[in-house]
Amino acid sequence: MTPPPLPLQGIRVADFGQVIAAPVTAQMLGWLGAEVILVETESRFTTRVWPPFADGEFGINNSGGFNLVNSNKLSCSLDLRSPDARELAKGIIRVSDVLVENYATGVMENLGLGYDEVKKLRPDIIYMSLGAFGRSGPFKNLTGFHSVINLFSGLAAVTGYPGSHPRIMGGLIPDAFAGCYGVLAVLEALYHRSRTGEGQFIEVSMTEALTGMIPEAVMEYSLTGKEQPRTGNRNGRKAPHNVFRCLGEEKWIAISVETDEQFRALAQATGNPGWADDARFVTPAARLENQDALESLVQQWTAGQDVAEVVATLQAADVPVAAVSDSAEVFADPHLAERGFVAHVEHPVAGKRPVLSLPWAADGRRVDNLRPAPTFGQHNQWVLKELLQVPDEEYERLVASGAIG
Amino acid sequence: MNSEVNAKAQPASALAGVRVVEYTEVASASFCARLLGDAGADVVKVEPPQGDRYRRHGPFPDGHPDPDWSGMFLYLNANKRGVGLDLQAPCQNAAFSELVAKADILIVGGQSAEIAEQGLRRQALQHLNPGLIVTAITPFGLSGPNSAYVGDDLTAVASGGLSFATPGVPDGVEDPVKEPPLTASTPLAELMTGVLGAAGCVAALLARQFSGQGCEIDLSLQEGVAAVMPYELAHAAYHEPKKRELLGFALMPNVYMPCKDGYVVIMAVLEGHWRNLMEAAGNPDWGDLEVFATAQERGRNWDALESLLLEWTMSHTGEEIAHLAQERGVPCFPAYSVGQMMESPHVTERGFLQELTSPGGRSFKLPGHPIRMAATPWRSFRPAPRLGQHTAEVLRDWLGWPEDKAQALSILPLP
Repeated sequence: MTPPPLPLQGIRVADFGQVIAAPVTAQMLGWLGAEVILVETESRFTTRVWPPFADGEFGINNSGGFNLVNSNKLSCSLDLRSPDARELAKGIIRVSDVLVENYATGVMENLGLGYDEVKKLRPDIIYMSLGAFGRSGPFKNLTGFHSVINLFSGLAAVTGYPGSHPRIMGGLIPDAFAGCYGVLAVLEALYHRSRTGEGQFIEVSMTEALTGMIPEAVMEYSLTGKEQPRTGNRNGRKAPHNVFRCLGEEKWIAISVETDEQFRALAQATGNPGWADDARFVTPAARLENQDALESLVQQWTAGQDVAEVVATLQAADVPVAAVSDSAEVFADPHLAERGFVAHVEHPVAGKRPVLSLPWAADGRRVDNLRPAPTFGQHNQWVLKELLQVPDEEYERLVASGAIG
Repeated sequence: MNSEVNAKAQPASALAGVRVVEYTEVASASFCARLLGDAGADVVKVEPPQGDRYRRHGPFPDGHPDPDWSGMFLYLNANKRGVGLDLQAPCQNAAFSELVAKADILIVGGQSAEIAEQGLRRQALQHLNPGLIVTAITPFGLSGPNSAYVGDDLTAVASGGLSFATPGVPDGVEDPVKEPPLTASTPLAELMTGVLGAAGCVAALLARQFSGQGCEIDLSLQEGVAAVMPYELAHAAYHEPKKRELLGFALMPNVYMPCKDGYVVIMAVLEGHWRNLMEAAGNPDWGDLEVFATAQERGRNWDALESLLLEWTMSHTGEEIAHLAQERGVPCFPAYSVGQMMESPHVTERGFLQELTSPGGRSFKLPGHPIRMAATPWRSFRPAPRLGQHTAEVLRDWLGWPEDKAQALSILPLP
């Protein structure tokens, strides 16, 4: 039996994404069944020339940062400095349903590819424009990469320890998280278009995506003029709630206990039933009050054990715990592999590598055909000759002039 | 399902006419449903008699606990109607089933085992409604060897790889080697996963246009976290995991360092940025030294460069440094407090924060919605509901119950 169609079957996306944010949006749309054409310009390379490279060897088709956010896409290499190339880009847009971009504010307009121009080519286009600070306001032109977004948005202000300075979250999350909002926006716009025929312009701001993660701090400041205190790994309602060292170098376990029932289970499972009767720990309020003492007891218990042992012991007792995984451990997690979230694909240059798949399963189904990221210009012939019907001679002329490639 | 004709005075909503039932007490699933409500879906939040746990969470604007004015509840549940039902009571459980039969989407969240025990898996519900989309957000997912594991925001940030990667900028800590993995003092895994859940719901609506069938969306907090850090994960896939030694970056300066009144981040790895940074710093003699000629050299000789740069940063405020650098195109920014962010002209001009007023007359702010759609803008249709506020109204609207029957069921004791 053939599987039912994917949600975005028949949808084409023109991807003018840079670095991570919009590329993540387009990649997810591709996983959902859209045909994604990545329009790339060599003079604007970002992740293609940034590490990590497969086994440390530099190469524009060898970059992990590029290959992990551009799978299931077609690459069309156009030098957008050339007017001929910009005409070809317009040709791609004319046959696309969605355009995504996250250049610096004003770049698409300067290329003649701003929404007002594009809508003349394709009136029902869904145009998703994602900016660090958004496309309006006094900071719209500021250069914003992930740490700038962390520091401006207030997320860093609520990350770190009491009495110390703000910490910046790792993982470059502002980019990809804003990219996820981009996916939601495009899907909503496609749903609207399916019912009305109407396309639209969409704007997503990375800083606003992050500020949306700190509602309590925003409310607290607006009420009292006070900053929400940074609490390290602790939580105002749960104790113990922290990471603890286990056996080995950089091996940690995260433990989060909220209810008395969970605490009794923790006490039993660690072989310390007396903790549950200790006056310092009998209620959530008491545990919060005495968390220094409690954490040091828990730390003594975890210190001599393997992470996996601690996870097994405590999860068997229904205590919320998890290993603090590094990136390699995320890829090696058999749970994520069995769920189909972590997969392996063979890249023609970089070889067989682990990749992430769609972050949700629909009736167990994720991506039917996970394909590696394209090499630079890999699909020029198909996109330009087949799809846009550029005659052979003209194609050769454009390659020779440098407009293509 | 037919699209509703929108009144001419208001712009259209992308999800107008889509019916959503939410039954959960976790932030991820509540936020997922709220985002759909922002886009115009008719979201019905079904709560047990004791009310959602976030009603007891705060912050409380009038300084005392009030289940209708808990900040976190207001944020997670705006743009929903509230229905109170005790699913343990057979007649109320039957009403819940009738609502689910009329819904396009059911959103649930919590521990995987609880969801199955409560009969909220799609398999148990599809006889009511073959088009039903069930979206379940759980700590580790509905399937796989760890699906029975219990967890929360902290375990998600840890198991998804984000905790290990934090702090995420070189030299950002007092003791760069020994500082433990860290999470933020806010439920970020829950909120990030809620966004993905909402995307999953709309993707399923689009798929249903082809198939006529609903489906079950299975999304875990662990995967929600890992999904937003592909670049970090690429290091493991392509070379080796980045070590938690924060001076491990080979190219400098890409640094978070103290200044006169706080901290700034400065990124001047590219040659143009480096030259412009030196200009911003007043062209010190050492800017031309051979040992600082390339980003790699500056990485190798970072100890020497750091003390020289510190002389400059410690004699200026973060705002001064950022201004000098940004006017030359160098990525740079000071660590803002939440207050500085909220009062910045940028946030004010864009109108991102929403203002609300409590019964005690205190006004306060909450973040708005970060997607701006020109044809179908998000709207603040209604504040978060009081417990059971719309029970009778929804039973009439959705199920066509007569007034007296709907009223009889809507009288629930408050906690």
